Amino acid sequence: MNIWTIMTYELRRLFRSRSMLLNMFLLPMVLIFLLGASLSGVVGVKSATKIEPVRVAVVNPAGEGQSAMIAAFVKLPEIQKVIVPQDVESRQAAESGLRTGKYGYAVIVPDGFDREVQQGGKAQLEFILGKNHTDNLAAGTAFDNFLSTVNYKQAAVAALGPQAMAVEASSSENHEAVKLGDLNNGGRTYTASQFYAASMLLMFLLYSGMTVTNSLFSEKDNHTLHRINSMPVKASELFIGKMLGVGIVSIIQCLAIILLSDWLFGVYWGNRPGLLLLFCLLMIIASMTLSIVVSLFSKTAASARSIISVVTVCMTFISGGMAPLPDSWVNTIGAFTINHWVLQAIVRMMLHSELSQLAPNLLMISVICLVMLCGAIFSYWKVGYHE
Amino acid sequence: MAFAVLSDVVKRYDQKLTVDHVNFSIQEGEIFGLLGPNGAGKSTTISMICGLLKADGGDIVIDGLSVLSKPLEVKKRIGLVPQELALYENMTATENVSFFGKLYGLRGKLLKERVEEALAFTGLSDRAKDKPSTFSGGMKRRLNIACAIMHRPKLIIMDEPTVGIDPQSRNHILESVKALNKLGSTVIYTSHYMEEVAAICDRVAIMDKGHIIACGTEHELRERVAHEEKIVVKASHITPALIQELKQHPRISRVELNEDTVELYLPSSQSELQDILFIFAKHEGVIASLNIEEPDLETLFLSLTGRTLRD
Repeated sequence: MNIWTIMTYELRRLFRSRSMLLNMFLLPMVLIFLLGASLSGVVGVKSATKIEPVRVAVVNPAGEGQSAMIAAFVKLPEIQKVIVPQDVESRQAAESGLRTGKYGYAVIVPDGFDREVQQGGKAQLEFILGKNHTDNLAAGTAFDNFLSTVNYKQAAVAALGPQAMAVEASSSENHEAVKLGDLNNGGRTYTASQFYAASMLLMFLLYSGMTVTNSLFSEKDNHTLHRINSMPVKASELFIGKMLGVGIVSIIQCLAIILLSDWLFGVYWGNRPGLLLLFCLLMIIASMTLSIVVSLFSKTAASARSIISVVTVCMTFISGGMAPLPDSWVNTIGAFTINHWVLQAIVRMMLHSELSQLAPNLLMISVICLVMLCGAIFSYWKVGYHE
Repeated sequence: MAFAVLSDVVKRYDQKLTVDHVNFSIQEGEIFGLLGPNGAGKSTTISMICGLLKADGGDIVIDGLSVLSKPLEVKKRIGLVPQELALYENMTATENVSFFGKLYGLRGKLLKERVEEALAFTGLSDRAKDKPSTFSGGMKRRLNIACAIMHRPKLIIMDEPTVGIDPQSRNHILESVKALNKLGSTVIYTSHYMEEVAAICDRVAIMDKGHIIACGTEHELRERVAHEEKIVVKASHITPALIQELKQHPRISRVELNEDTVELYLPSSQSELQDILFIFAKHEGVIASLNIEEPDLETLFLSLTGRTLRD
């Protein structure tokens, strides 16, 4: 019964703090909006599936050096779904057209391209990018595929002889020339809004540790801990009651971020709401237990808050929460952060990944929680909670 | 039978003895004063009685129950008014008292009645819906008391409840202590204000450096220093040579100079008065007033320790 009383009054006190309400509910929404809007251009687009054909300036030399292969390639029907080839006489004309927006992309075919390829040389083209990223991506992918195919055939013939060409020709099928989206996830992709909604959710759940610190130290600062310790209340009841109060506030914060970001910005959180909440719950437990350890061993609230702030920001950055990190040692360290495992899992859920892809993340965050919980229990047993 | 008994209670911090084999007992229904300077061990003793600190030796028995073996049962019988204000600033007075009442197991109608009763007792009924952040220092002190008495404890422990408040609130609190005692509660009152303890306590224990150096009624304690008296001389032109000569007088045990006032402690006798007047005249000290004061608890403490309570 004491646990219930302490929990309800903890909730009452927390919800009366305006600064806490602003930090917990308003700030995440503002950040999701700002980051999502500034980094994706449009908030709430779930996936881009349509490709507009790109006007491509093709500079194919005249005379003997002209490439018949390129001329034939750009006339293929599946390629013309992606690009609208425009024969251009010179590089200058192509560059001029790119500047004025007449063309979205340009390809410079080297003199004697076909001859070079037939002699076993590497197929190479020069590309000049236009102003639009998607156009560059679509046209570039089409020509990259062409070069890859040519070079692949060159390598096959060189290694296996002319019969390799026949086998390759029978096995090849007509595929869509360019497909937009993450082809590893059934064509689904995630937007900047989705990514930063997930990242901010986790960062603020990690910040819920700060609420733990404030809650634990406020009893000391108010000297109410001294009074409660003189009452017929077990120390464990007080501690559990307070942590339940903070935990409930964090769960409410988590639900608010998910629902409000969905409602206001159209952020799609995936097809597994139950699993999403389970991951968030584990994240809250990990963050709270981390803060319990820090708070119990810190002498002042200020030092505990500083440690938790630094840990939160570092973990968010290293886990790739501020911006997806390239493959490097930083990315490797990210695997040692709490956010990493939950962020990856949430992104995968947004992409409708199979349960088998989520299981390692669930296992990992569960292990982290278990270790942190043991750490928190040990800290409480060692240090206790008193003035 | 004694209501509270402390037997050979010891508390160490690191290797230092903060409470050194303390023994005393408190009868049911009395106001027991614990007097001593800051750092004497009063708050540590109180903390051990409340079960906030575990004694390193000895035993404390409250209402027949050992604090060591039945801490929760003992805590139900105690109401602690801590030295520091222990309130939630963002909850109303009613919510504060109600929260602590619930932790004492009060519920429903009984809780509501007791909360109203405690607020009325401390004169805060008209501010029941206000938050302590809007209260004066004295009102906060009274709310601090209300939070400790709403469950009608058998033993109320007040740890320096009048620190830093105005005289009016101090009087209100002292009257409250007497009223609570009349309602049947035993009270332990700690202070380093000798006047407060003398005014309200039935018996007093004086603590210094972790020891109980004297214990008894005020009358009994005064008897111990009845042979001493304090002469307070207010004068101008007090020179170091004057003070030096007073200190060298064989019958004067101690001389305290406080701006224009000289306090002299000496065995009670009128014969030294002439000497004192002579010394002042010799050094051209102009006496404005001279009072011979009865020995009090301050005198006793000085006599026992060689220091004043506020040293």
